[in-house]
Amino acid sequence: MIEFERFKLENGLRVIFHHDPTTPMAVVNTLYDVGARDESPDQTGFAHLFEHLMFGGSVNIPDFDEPLQRAGGESNAFTSNDITNYYNVLPAHNLETALWLESDRMLSLAFTPKNLEVQRNVVIEEFKQRYLNQPYGDVWLNLRPLAYKVHPYQWATIGKEIRHIEEAKMEDVRAFFTKHYTPANAILCIAGNFELKAVKDAVQKWYGEIPSGLKPARVLPSEPEQTSYREQQLERNVPASAFYYAFKMAERRNEGYYLADVLSDALGRDKSSRLYVALKKGKQLVSEIGAYITGSLDDGLLVISGKLNDGITFQQLDEALWEELDKMKSEPLPIEELKRLKVKLKTSREFEEQGLLNRAMNLCQYELLGDANGINEEAAIYDAIQPIHLQEMAIQLFQQNKLSVLKVNANPNA
Amino acid sequence: MLDRKIAPEQTEIDTIDFVKPKTFEINKHVKLYHIDNLPNETARVDFYFDAGTTKGKRGVAALMNGLLLSGTAEKTSIQLHEEIDDLGGYYESGIGQENSIVTMYSLKENMLAILSILHHAISHVAFHPHEIEELINERRQKFKVSLEKVSFLAQRAFQERLFLDSTYGRITELSDFETISSDELQAFYNQYYLKGLKKVVVIGNFNQDAIDAIIDLCGKWVQPLQSDYSDSNKNLPGKYHLTKEGALQTAIRVGRTLFNKTHPDFEEFLILNTILGDYFGSRLMGNIREDKGYTYGIGSMVMELQHTGYFFIATEVGEEHREATLIEIQREFERLQHELVGEEELSLVKNYMLGQLLKSADGAYAMMDLHLSVEPFGMDLDYYNSTIDRIRNCTPQRIQELAIQYLDWQHMTVVSAG
Repeated sequence: MIEFERFKLENGLRVIFHHDPTTPMAVVNTLYDVGARDESPDQTGFAHLFEHLMFGGSVNIPDFDEPLQRAGGESNAFTSNDITNYYNVLPAHNLETALWLESDRMLSLAFTPKNLEVQRNVVIEEFKQRYLNQPYGDVWLNLRPLAYKVHPYQWATIGKEIRHIEEAKMEDVRAFFTKHYTPANAILCIAGNFELKAVKDAVQKWYGEIPSGLKPARVLPSEPEQTSYREQQLERNVPASAFYYAFKMAERRNEGYYLADVLSDALGRDKSSRLYVALKKGKQLVSEIGAYITGSLDDGLLVISGKLNDGITFQQLDEALWEELDKMKSEPLPIEELKRLKVKLKTSREFEEQGLLNRAMNLCQYELLGDANGINEEAAIYDAIQPIHLQEMAIQLFQQNKLSVLKVNANPNA
Repeated sequence: MLDRKIAPEQTEIDTIDFVKPKTFEINKHVKLYHIDNLPNETARVDFYFDAGTTKGKRGVAALMNGLLLSGTAEKTSIQLHEEIDDLGGYYESGIGQENSIVTMYSLKENMLAILSILHHAISHVAFHPHEIEELINERRQKFKVSLEKVSFLAQRAFQERLFLDSTYGRITELSDFETISSDELQAFYNQYYLKGLKKVVVIGNFNQDAIDAIIDLCGKWVQPLQSDYSDSNKNLPGKYHLTKEGALQTAIRVGRTLFNKTHPDFEEFLILNTILGDYFGSRLMGNIREDKGYTYGIGSMVMELQHTGYFFIATEVGEEHREATLIEIQREFERLQHELVGEEELSLVKNYMLGQLLKSADGAYAMMDLHLSVEPFGMDLDYYNSTIDRIRNCTPQRIQELAIQYLDWQHMTVVSAG
């Protein structure tokens, strides 16, 4: 059970306080309800570029990191297709330094042309390092637009192409800030060994005067139901052919989300999972295989991916894979197997929750979903899952006409 | 009215509570370390074997590490994994130059049952030919994929030159996958696993009976004699470039062999290393990322081995920025040698390092990792109390002396791949 208190400032900022008496550290986590899905199709990669600019100084403070490091702390952030999340970890007695810094960059940024220019270059190098200059690095740049034709999940957080980042202008940056970086669009979590009253006072002091702004309305085109099989093949200079099977699955708040999550575990999380046992250990078709879900807030993907052994064809793989998927559809999961999946889930949750930063980030994310207490309710949802639920979900999910497949053909000379 | 230009008052870290693990002797030089008092039900157990990559024929250690759960005469690898997963266990194995580490994570209540499965698996590896073949194929393919990465190419070329003519400088070659025999694997296993246990680490709320049970389980594995390691490693200075057709970025490694915690300059060198490249506001990040935008990231680090250590800088930069980056790295070395670091910057780095040390001592898992970073050198957590003083008292003059002594560009191995 993760205990927390919740309050809201007049300007709309939602605040969660998590008391942990065992740690000398504090976490200040800020979630902004903006991600790559909120970008316009001709300005992709913007939410992430903006995340970089948030470290370039704010209206009253020339440098974000310097005072935080002087306080013994450190900071980082990440952008997903759904959210942008900033966190600071520092000695608890210097909590106010983090609140001062975070509140000032919520108030307004410095917006220097030099910062924009440099961070454009940094992000372009990040684009190369992670997506273009790695074997299989561009897979998601291709799989997303294959699986999503309308919804903005069709582009990756880094952006569709380098050109969009090169062309980012200062006026666009300012407009993005004004629209999305407001108290009403943020959730703040403070975790550490504090008293609620002290936290409330400090938050009121640093955030209370920030003008509210409007929470931007989100109207995203919803992805129409997929009705036919999609496939794309890439030729790449890589040593092994790789495959990515992406099935459409439910959005985060839907019960089906949890069922798809457990199905993906059953298929390919551990070395006792079905695909690993059947396709790798048994038929020796693949050198590696796994299954996972994208975990997105809107309709997501259940992905099965891996690499073929030398001399094996995509056709052989496809037949063996469907044999396993069909088994999931035709027979209920044995109770013993489900029990195994549940105890692994329970164990991994315990480990995840032992970190202060994880707790703070997760509280913010559940609050975004509607209620921070969701963090304490999920275990029961997973526990209640029965074989019949999984079988029904498998029947619904694993259909050829809801599938997008990306194949990367190895160059035999590589 | 709140003046936002003024920073809130900050206080410095006064003391840090270091909680030493309980120590149990399995034999004279093989110990079990235990930390309990966790606020949750999680647990971790590590077994350290004397089976790192510097031991045996090249390539054998890494393969053997991957075969530990490959099946016994009674149980297949699938059965072993099923049994461990049934109890919610997460198995990990890793290999370094001087250690092979087997780790199990689970809830406390399941750990002993899982360890007994693990014990059976590791004690009775059957060397099934199909398992060996499968692992070799898997590793060969992974290795070929890695060869497509400039960071991997630079790192292995760097390692070869860092530890010239030493088993520490060994790098895997594609041919290794063709030449390793089952007999060689078995001989290695008999020597370095069945008689190669160096230490055991236990984190979790276990009572004395549980600790005794763990000692009973692995008692037969303990190594009879303490192993010895090389202390005469020297790097080959000079520049070396490896061409990779079509690469968009160049990976760079710059470094040299140095020392470990047992050397009197070690702690102060860490301060110098932090200033140079070991935090977000470091000089290398400030110059090469935040001023020039050549890279997504650049960092410097210090690695320790039993009798030696090394220092290196790692980055990946746009292909066109390779030479400019090397010039800037050299310039940063020279700045540290020619100019005293300002009091402002030095005090910031000191505060930052103490904050990170406080974080490194937060909770049972962090505390054990901190212990594991001093234990190989015959020290305990008291070491960090003196570190706090060392950090506080370090002067700009001392940083400059160390930069002159240890950051001479002529002594550096400089490798690039791209």
